[in-house]
Amino acid sequence: MSDEPRPPPGESGAPRSRRLLSRARFLGLLAGGAALGALSTRVFGLVDGWRENTVEDGRPVFDRATYRLTVDGLVARPLSLDYDSLRSLPAVRQVSDFHCVEGWRVPNVRWDGVRFQSLAELVGPLPDARYVTFHSLGGVYRDSLSLTQARLPGVLIAYDLDGAPLSRVRGAPARLVMPRMFGYKGPKWLTRVEFRDRQDLGYWEQRGWRVDAWIRSSG
Amino acid sequence: MPEFLDRFAPSTRVLHWLVAIPVLILMLTGLTNFWPEAKTLHLGGARIFAWLHVLLGLGFAVALLPSLLAIFSRRAARRDARELLLVRLDDYLWLQHRALRAAGLRSIAPRVGKFNAGQKVNAALATTAIIVLIGTGVVLGVNFWNKNVFDVDLVAAVFRWHTVLSLLLLPLIVGHLYMAALNPETRESLRGMTSGRVRRAWAERHHDAWAERAREASRRGAGPDRR
Ligand code: HEM
Repeated sequence: MSDEPRPPPGESGAPRSRRLLSRARFLGLLAGGAALGALSTRVFGLVDGWRENTVEDGRPVFDRATYRLTVDGLVARPLSLDYDSLRSLPAVRQVSDFHCVEGWRVPNVRWDGVRFQSLAELVGPLPDARYVTFHSLGGVYRDSLSLTQARLPGVLIAYDLDGAPLSRVRGAPARLVMPRMFGYKGPKWLTRVEFRDRQDLGYWEQRGWRVDAWIRSSG
Repeated sequence: MPEFLDRFAPSTRVLHWLVAIPVLILMLTGLTNFWPEAKTLHLGGARIFAWLHVLLGLGFAVALLPSLLAIFSRRAARRDARELLLVRLDDYLWLQHRALRAAGLRSIAPRVGKFNAGQKVNAALATTAIIVLIGTGVVLGVNFWNKNVFDVDLVAAVFRWHTVLSLLLLPLIVGHLYMAALNPETRESLRGMTSGRVRRAWAERHHDAWAERAREASRRGAGPDRR
């Protein structure tokens, strides 16, 4: 970082070009600008977008041919739905904010899917059924709600996010959406909905996290 | 002529490392949040890096003010801080000189004091970022233990600022580390922050106005406190 105004190497003696922008510099600036643009969209994604949280061993793979959503446990009519049957159930579209327990938020997420309540009506919970456990494809993660909580209007089995099928990272083919609680209450890669008489503790609740992860919000 | 010039008194060096080390660790532990495999590493229900970050962050936030008061009771630290944050006409000229040279034009370097304008800009931006990071961090730290203190939307807004500021601070830190440790032209400056002295020849090239004063002071036998 020497400050002597010395001639650049290789040009000593020769009259220097006084143009402010040589072609090489111009191209360099252009490339730099493009790189900066690409970088800034990545950075905006980091600031405002989704983050990935999983404790599965890698991200579970959804295979359309073999996938089933099983709805069983203390119900009158257990169900096993393949992906197309799940998508052909009466659907709703809902816009809600997603809040992670870490503190970040994705505002106005558009979900398409099936109301938990509609699914419950299809299978007919038995009188003993008071809780529901939601299992992930990977076999590690699960979480649970009371039946009363799960029947709240915003609770969905969602398969589309912002108009497109869920990606593998976001939990393809389906995830539980419970907008009034933190995201850890909504397992991704959902494959089983189990009605129970006692509450099964979820992955994080077994490790001391709150079972009822209500969000404190004035909105 | 002395081979070395005294550059930073102990109080300034303590101030530097007292901020630098925690901020660096906070940056590294915070950045794990963007690395899915690392962020969910947990012992029981505790996410390891988040815990380290929050414990260190709260400790840093609490210890900082009394430490600053103690350090700034020393004249040398006060003078260095003032010198670092003070803007002079020569600083504008220096920035203009660098811009002209970057554009391939000739320009004469102005004289440089203890810190050049680049160091001053870096210091002002980094200080602002760190203050905001500590302020937002404390809100996030409280929320980390108790989710019922703040409204979620407030937490989300604060979180966003914490992220933005840390991502702005990151290139400053990377640039600073490069200049201090790798860049052959500037890395002599690291010696000033470790042993307190720098080579006179280097100082004369990079901080000519300061080197002159320092040489004068060392001739009079004054320590770094005196200049
Ligand atoms: C001054 C240096 C600091 C730096 C460079 C820094 C950096 C970061 C970064 C990069 C993140 C990740 C942000 C994201 O995921 O978008 C983060 C998160 C966080 N920081 Fe800091 N931070 C600093 C100070 C603090 C302080 C003083 C506290 C106070 C306790 C704090 C508390 C937090 C909390 C609670 C989180 C969220 C952690 C989580 O649950 O994942 N930070 N910080």
